[in-house]
Amino acid sequence: MKKYIIIGLLGLVTVFSSCNDELFLTPFQSIDQDLALSNDANVKSVLIGAYAEMRSVSLYGGRLQLYSEMLGANGEIRWEGTFNQPREMFNKSIVVNNSFVEGTWAAAYRVINVSNNVLASLEVVDEEDRDRVKGEALFLRGSMYFELIKLYGLPYVAGNLSTNLGVPIVLTPTRGINEESFVSRNTVAEVYAQVLSDLTEAEPLLPPTNGFFANSYVTAAQLSRVYLQMERFADARDAANRAILLSEANGKRLVTNFMDAFNTNGDSPEDLFAIQVNTQDPDNDMFTFYSLPEFGARDGDVAILTNHLNGYESNDDRLTQFFTGAGELRTAKWRDQFKNVKVIRLTEMYLTRAEANFRENTAIGATPLVDINRIRARVILPAKTSLTLGEILKERRLELAHEGHIIHDVKRVRGSINDNTGSDVFPFDSPRMVFPIPQREMDANPNLVQNPGY
Amino acid sequence: MPKILLSALLFFSLLGNIAIAQTMTVTGTVVSVEDGLPLPGVNVVIKGTTSGTVTDIDGKYNIQVDSNQSLVFSFVGFETQEALIGNRSVIDITLLIDAKTLGEVVVVGFGTITKGDLTGNIASVKGAEIANIPVPNFQEALQGRMAGVFVESNSGKLGEGVKIRVRGTTSISGGNEPLYIIDGLPITSGGAIGDFNPLADINFNDIESFEVLKDASAAAIYGARASNGVVLITTKSGAKGKTKFNVGVQRGVSSPTRKREFLNSSEFIELMREAGYNNDLRNGIDPINNPADFEGSDLEFVEGRLDRYSGWSDWRTLETETDWQEQAFNPDAGVTNVNFSASGGDEKTKFYFSTAYDKQDGIIIRNDFERISTRLNLDHKVSAIFNFGVNLGFSRVRNNRLSDDNQFNNPIQLVALAPITPIRDLEGMLYDRPTTTYYNNLIDSENAQWLNTSFRNISNIYGEIQITKDLRFKSEFGVDVMNQNQEQFFGSRTNSGLSTNGFARSSWLRIFNYNTNNFFTYTKAIGTKHNIDAIGGMQFQKSEDNFTSVEGQEFPLDELRTLASAAEITGGTSTLTNFTFLSYFARVNYKFNNKFLATFSARADGSSRFGDNNKWGFFPAASAGWVLSEESFLKGNETLSLLKLRASYGLTGNAEIGDFDHLGLFGTSSYGLIPGLTPTQIPNPNLTWEKTEQFNIGIEFGIIRDRITGEIDYYDKSTRDLLLNVPVPATSGFNVQRQNIGRMQNYGFEFILNGAVVSKENFNWNASINFARNINRVRELAPGQESIPPESSRSLNGIFIGESIGVFYGPKFAGADAENGDALYYSNADMTETTNDINNAERMVVGDPNPQFIGGITNNFSFGNFDMNFLFQGVFGNDIYDGGGGFFAANGDWFDNSTRDQMARWQNPGDITMIPQARLGECNGCQASSRYLSDGSYVRLRTLTIGYSIPNNLISKMKISSARFYLIGQNLLTFTNYKGWDPEVNADFSASNVSQGNDFYSAPQARTISLGLNVGF
Repeated sequence: MKKYIIIGLLGLVTVFSSCNDELFLTPFQSIDQDLALSNDANVKSVLIGAYAEMRSVSLYGGRLQLYSEMLGANGEIRWEGTFNQPREMFNKSIVVNNSFVEGTWAAAYRVINVSNNVLASLEVVDEEDRDRVKGEALFLRGSMYFELIKLYGLPYVAGNLSTNLGVPIVLTPTRGINEESFVSRNTVAEVYAQVLSDLTEAEPLLPPTNGFFANSYVTAAQLSRVYLQMERFADARDAANRAILLSEANGKRLVTNFMDAFNTNGDSPEDLFAIQVNTQDPDNDMFTFYSLPEFGARDGDVAILTNHLNGYESNDDRLTQFFTGAGELRTAKWRDQFKNVKVIRLTEMYLTRAEANFRENTAIGATPLVDINRIRARVILPAKTSLTLGEILKERRLELAHEGHIIHDVKRVRGSINDNTGSDVFPFDSPRMVFPIPQREMDANPNLVQNPGY
Repeated sequence: MPKILLSALLFFSLLGNIAIAQTMTVTGTVVSVEDGLPLPGVNVVIKGTTSGTVTDIDGKYNIQVDSNQSLVFSFVGFETQEALIGNRSVIDITLLIDAKTLGEVVVVGFGTITKGDLTGNIASVKGAEIANIPVPNFQEALQGRMAGVFVESNSGKLGEGVKIRVRGTTSISGGNEPLYIIDGLPITSGGAIGDFNPLADINFNDIESFEVLKDASAAAIYGARASNGVVLITTKSGAKGKTKFNVGVQRGVSSPTRKREFLNSSEFIELMREAGYNNDLRNGIDPINNPADFEGSDLEFVEGRLDRYSGWSDWRTLETETDWQEQAFNPDAGVTNVNFSASGGDEKTKFYFSTAYDKQDGIIIRNDFERISTRLNLDHKVSAIFNFGVNLGFSRVRNNRLSDDNQFNNPIQLVALAPITPIRDLEGMLYDRPTTTYYNNLIDSENAQWLNTSFRNISNIYGEIQITKDLRFKSEFGVDVMNQNQEQFFGSRTNSGLSTNGFARSSWLRIFNYNTNNFFTYTKAIGTKHNIDAIGGMQFQKSEDNFTSVEGQEFPLDELRTLASAAEITGGTSTLTNFTFLSYFARVNYKFNNKFLATFSARADGSSRFGDNNKWGFFPAASAGWVLSEESFLKGNETLSLLKLRASYGLTGNAEIGDFDHLGLFGTSSYGLIPGLTPTQIPNPNLTWEKTEQFNIGIEFGIIRDRITGEIDYYDKSTRDLLLNVPVPATSGFNVQRQNIGRMQNYGFEFILNGAVVSKENFNWNASINFARNINRVRELAPGQESIPPESSRSLNGIFIGESIGVFYGPKFAGADAENGDALYYSNADMTETTNDINNAERMVVGDPNPQFIGGITNNFSFGNFDMNFLFQGVFGNDIYDGGGGFFAANGDWFDNSTRDQMARWQNPGDITMIPQARLGECNGCQASSRYLSDGSYVRLRTLTIGYSIPNNLISKMKISSARFYLIGQNLLTFTNYKGWDPEVNADFSASNVSQGNDFYSAPQARTISLGLNVGF
């Protein structure tokens, strides 16, 4: 009998020892990190992955724009939605665990980490594409640091650059969590230096056209925004001028009818850079919060107030963007579902060049008057014969209204924002218009210092 | 010879005839088998009647009886005996000790054991105790019946998840649900599409018993998967004898346990106008007293909104008064159940067959549940040494489902709509925005469908061979195939399909899970004093999860609802994932002289889920018991008839994490329809099991010949190497890394008392009480980490060292400032200072969602042909966070309709109230804080049954062996101070290990009353 038992047991052991191999399974939807960075095609796919992170609603997919509008509401728009995260920004009383504030921080650093992965794996990228891949990764990283520093740090023009805290700078890919992962905040000056370094290095590496991905004129346009924040107007002017010349040379132009610039399938001729939205990849939080149920959005969370309309001249064609829906005035700039999210339009470059030329008393590319009248003519407004800085800034405010520019322009020109209901006025360097470092991040990393006022 | 036979027959038949006619006196003495002493108080009843007597102090009785009748002798703690009178006038009876208490068979992993020999802690419920309870899954039916087993449904939505915690929560980021095993097969109990509960596929009338393995000794045989307890489910099998048929029908009606009170039109208008006007006054204008101020005022804005929300009607004359809450409930809710079973067999073959239809129409609109199930269990004995069998279980569930609680189309969210809004416009169409404040989800009732269909096959086969007299080998192979399909369609008028001419999604899931157990059982008695019972073997399990989904939009008509009609396919995905477990196990039970008991078990588990450096884990356990009542100084003592001490210690694991959490991975993503790769996970090759060490000490006792029995247990479970999603700096590009770090402790006691309170001829009353206290403490997190604070600004659940998991942490609300109506919060920990700025509020632990005590009291009565039983179940000392309060209890912050208590808002200086001043859109106190926290303790009359069995003499003529009518009530009474819909709640969209005790427009439970009939023949 014992013999049978032993034979039986041996048989079982043989049968089930094959089960042991079954303990080593690999996933079907993911690949190992070493494999992902092992060859040309894979690293290029990782680069696409960086764009995929950057297009999320937490970043250029809508919320970066929304934050600016909420912080800069100034009695011209009203947040009416149930989401308390935008409402806290609207009221300038942001709670340290505001989940939007936390989400944007994390998403930006995801883009940075993916970019760092690409930058660390350039040696496996084909030689002929290496510059482009490197340039795009630098553009993405620089852009993210720029968006972070604008929201999570005091404005550049607030001075104290070497003491005011910016955000931590991370330039190497994360392969594991170790002591180096617990970074500290760099200063505002250091972060701006990093942004400039990334973008200026990227610009010459990039080709003039690159589909809907970053190219050299997009990078120049982004640089012009950075210089404006830093009040380096001559540099801003030159960067804007480069963006204009190169993009026009590649077919970019103002569309004839103002409203044709919005709700477009794909990029319009005046889009220098836009987030690609389609039914497969539908997220667009500006649409979600600004539009109405009949267009597939929420309930119309943002209403336009008459205060805002008062700024327009009576025949301004831009007034056609406003319509009444769900009982309130709305802007149609974000009306339709599955449309690209505008990030940089050509008009911004004309406005930047005009302002910078005006401030520097130069006429690089065109005179300020020519640039401003170009904008005005398109919206059927009479040409100006003379200009003041105030008029240029006003034209900028109206042309780019509801597109996420307002708070950054207010801050750099040292303006102020009125409280929505009370009588408080928030100066450009008010800590209440700076995001807190997310509580989650403060808890996860003891080396971080919270922003003033939180 | 034939003549003699004939006369004999005649004689006997005559005797019979005489006997029928003859009433005689029968006397006798009843003694106990144990000591031969007389038993007083024994019931002596004439079978089939209600007449009888009781033995006197000397155990003697005296009764008038017909000779063809039988006497039934019954006494608590002894087996009931029957005796045919015949021609006897003296019938002495020796009653045998009822082996029920000690000899009750309990199912354990890979075998059974008699309760008397058990040294571990196992809770057991017989299927018969919960048969016919009108709930969709067995988990809800088990509520309150097992000490230390906490059961909570997310809400009253049908087919949804149920949370079970056996002796507390052991894991922060891993799973906390017990392992479910049906007839040896670990079944799929999670991972279904949506929140569908895979255990709702099981018809629990087919279940013979449920055993929950609670301590390490009982559970460690399931090693790496046993930390959260193991639920062993044994299905019914046939018994030798005549085939027994049973038919049951039940029909009942359901209604919500409670509704809330919301403002009527006049109150709503008053509050909203006041909210706008208060803003105006604060901004220095007075639109009521200075008409010039009206234009541009918030009051004007409010009145504009009221105009908009009142549609065709005039809010000024209160023309419309809509009770939106009423619209969310289904007036025709109820249950229907029809079941049939047959069981029987002969020497060689036994069978159990059943089929059942269960239908529940939910108390919430658009929600129902229908299950058709069948089962065939067959055992066949081929020879003296070989038998085999098969258990086949099939079911189909159709479940019309609802969105999660945090969606506008959750029916309960209708309460947000204004009472001044008419339901329909003058054309009879349902109003939607902008007339309704938010999406009017009644449109979903007309223009959408969301059907979940699940096909389930849980089957296994086994063969068992008797190798020697003492040694057996059993091989089992089981499959659990879950095929789930979810068809969603949202028409062109719905929120989801409005802008796209409809939206549809079709999702398919198949989880194929197979398992084999192969083990030896060795049973040996050595001499008269030593008993050994040992098992040893292996188990292999593999589960494959295959999911596919397609979605599309642009439908030509709302009547064409399948994706074939979608002009645009907008999304699709298919995913595949799998896991394996390979295990070896052994257990030895040793018994010495019926006094000393010991069990040793060990299991080695390997799994694909763990890192290469830690593929295998080893989980040993040991336990010992001492039956003091077998010792000479107690033996034969009737007062203390049983006394047993037991203790156990062992190690179990928890492997409920993602399938590939140990790898460093890049996942797929895309931008502009171009595929890409993004890092998704940081590697951790050291990832391994959570380990739970558990110590248990218990005492079992029986008093007055086991008329009262009880168990008291103390346990201490310490879990280390927690599978923790450790927050890492997001600057790394990752938010969390799965690490084995941290410790959690659960300790407490369990108390069980069973008693035969009254045991008279025709009246029996048995009661059972169970009561448990579990204390959960987070002991350690990542180095330097003191807490994991609440994840979102709308929730308060967090993790703090030294506190229970998921405690509510946030600002402590201090009511309204008596001077100006500002919402106040305490700004220091001593709660002596207040602030009106929530960012300056001191954040502190303000509540705990974990109950301090849970318990249940069951009472069974039988009185002649009537029977009654009821179960009171209670949960004590937990808090509930009413997350919807920020919208409907926010003193008119926005146009969501408010609960009536908001009318107590601050209005004038000097008002002392907890409700701050109404200020439109200013969130005066609407943020997450202790304001929305309240005590969630409750006691509930969970089940009440009243039955009447038709006397045998009436039904035997109809060839029926039993017939019972019954009335069953579920959730008939609830006692609680909680002001929300229902205190048994855990909002489904956020429910997690940490996020507990949240209410968010969650549906209340159903109160059901139904009538049933069971007939056996």
